[in-house]
Amino acid sequence: MAIRPVLHYPHPTLKTDSAACLPTDPATQTVAQDLLDTLAASPGVALAAPQIGYALRVIVVDVSRKKGEKGHGLIVMVNPVILALEGRKVLREGCLSVPDYTGNVLRHEQAVVEGLALDGRIVTLTTSGFEALAFQHEVDHLNGLLFLDRIQSLSTDLFRRQTQG
Amino acid sequence: MDHFAIVTAFGQDRPGIVALMADSLYQLGCNIEDSCMTRLRGEFTMMLMVRLPQGLDAEALGGRLTVSTRPLDLAVLCRALPDQAALRQHMPEVPTFMLSVYGADHPGIVAQVARTVADQGGNITDMNTRVIGSGEVPVYVMVLEIQLPQDRQAEQLKQALEALKPLLGVDLTFRPLDSVTF
Repeated sequence: MAIRPVLHYPHPTLKTDSAACLPTDPATQTVAQDLLDTLAASPGVALAAPQIGYALRVIVVDVSRKKGEKGHGLIVMVNPVILALEGRKVLREGCLSVPDYTGNVLRHEQAVVEGLALDGRIVTLTTSGFEALAFQHEVDHLNGLLFLDRIQSLSTDLFRRQTQG
Repeated sequence: MDHFAIVTAFGQDRPGIVALMADSLYQLGCNIEDSCMTRLRGEFTMMLMVRLPQGLDAEALGGRLTVSTRPLDLAVLCRALPDQAALRQHMPEVPTFMLSVYGADHPGIVAQVARTVADQGGNITDMNTRVIGSGEVPVYVMVLEIQLPQDRQAEQLKQALEALKPLLGVDLTFRPLDSVTF
C-alpha cells in the first residue's frame, strides 16, 4: 500500500488514453490499493489511476467523504463506462490535478455507470447529483480528458447575445 | 529580477485586435501572464498582466504599444505593477456566492448593492452588468461573484440585500456558487 502524489498537468499520463485491465490482475489490485490510500490521505472525494501515475482504467469514488453526501459510499470500479446521462447541468468545476483554476463545465445530474468490481463482478450504478458528477469527472481522466477540455463558457456566458437574425 | 505591468486597451471592436496586441507584446519581449477581454457593446476592452523584459519599463511599453497598434486606433495604458502583486498565489477555498440583481434601469443600483456587499465584509471578485430590454423599458441586469471570509456571514448579507429590494425596485437572488473540485 502506498500514498502516491497526485500528479499535476502537464504530466503526460494525465493526457493519456488509459488501458483496460483485469480486476484480478495483481497490477490492478496494486493500483486500486494505491488509489484508496491516496484518496484517504487527500481532501477529495474521487481519484482516477492516471492522477497517481498509472495509465489504467481504475477509479475510486467516495462522495460520503463530503459532509452531507451519501451516494453509494466507497466504490472501486475497473473499466468503468457511462451508459446513460440525463439532466444537463453547468457547474463550476476544479480538479486536484489542475490546481488554482476552475471553469464552467457541462455535466449531467444523473449518470448510469457500469464497470467491474475488484472481484470481477459486473456492477451497475445509477448515480445522481454530486456522485454522478464525480463519476463523469473520473471517467474523463481515463480518456485523457481534463475539465479544461470541457469548459463550456466564460463567466460572461449569461449575457451571450443571440445571433442577430 | 522579473518586473510586471498592467496593460489596458480599448477601442472600436473589429477582428484582429487581440492578434495585433499579442504580437506587439511578443515582439517587444513581453510575456502575457493573466488576461481578460470582453466587449462592452461595440467597444473592445482588454486587460493584461505582462512580464516585461529587462530594460523596458511600463512607461516605455505604453509608448511602444501605442505606436504598434496605431492602425487599430486603440487607447493603450500601461502601469508598473509592484512585484509582490504579480506573484502567483495559491487560490484558497473561500465561500463564494453569486448575486443576480435585475430591475428597471435607474442610477444608483450598482452603487447601493456594492456598498451593501462591502459593508458586510464581502469581496466582489467578478462583476458583469448590462442594460437589456427595449429602448422604452430598459432593464438593468447585474451579476456578481462575491467571496465572504466565513460562510456564516452569508445569511446576514442576504438579509441586507433583501432589504434593498423595495428601496431599489429590483429583484435579486443570492446563492452559493455550485463549485466542486474533484
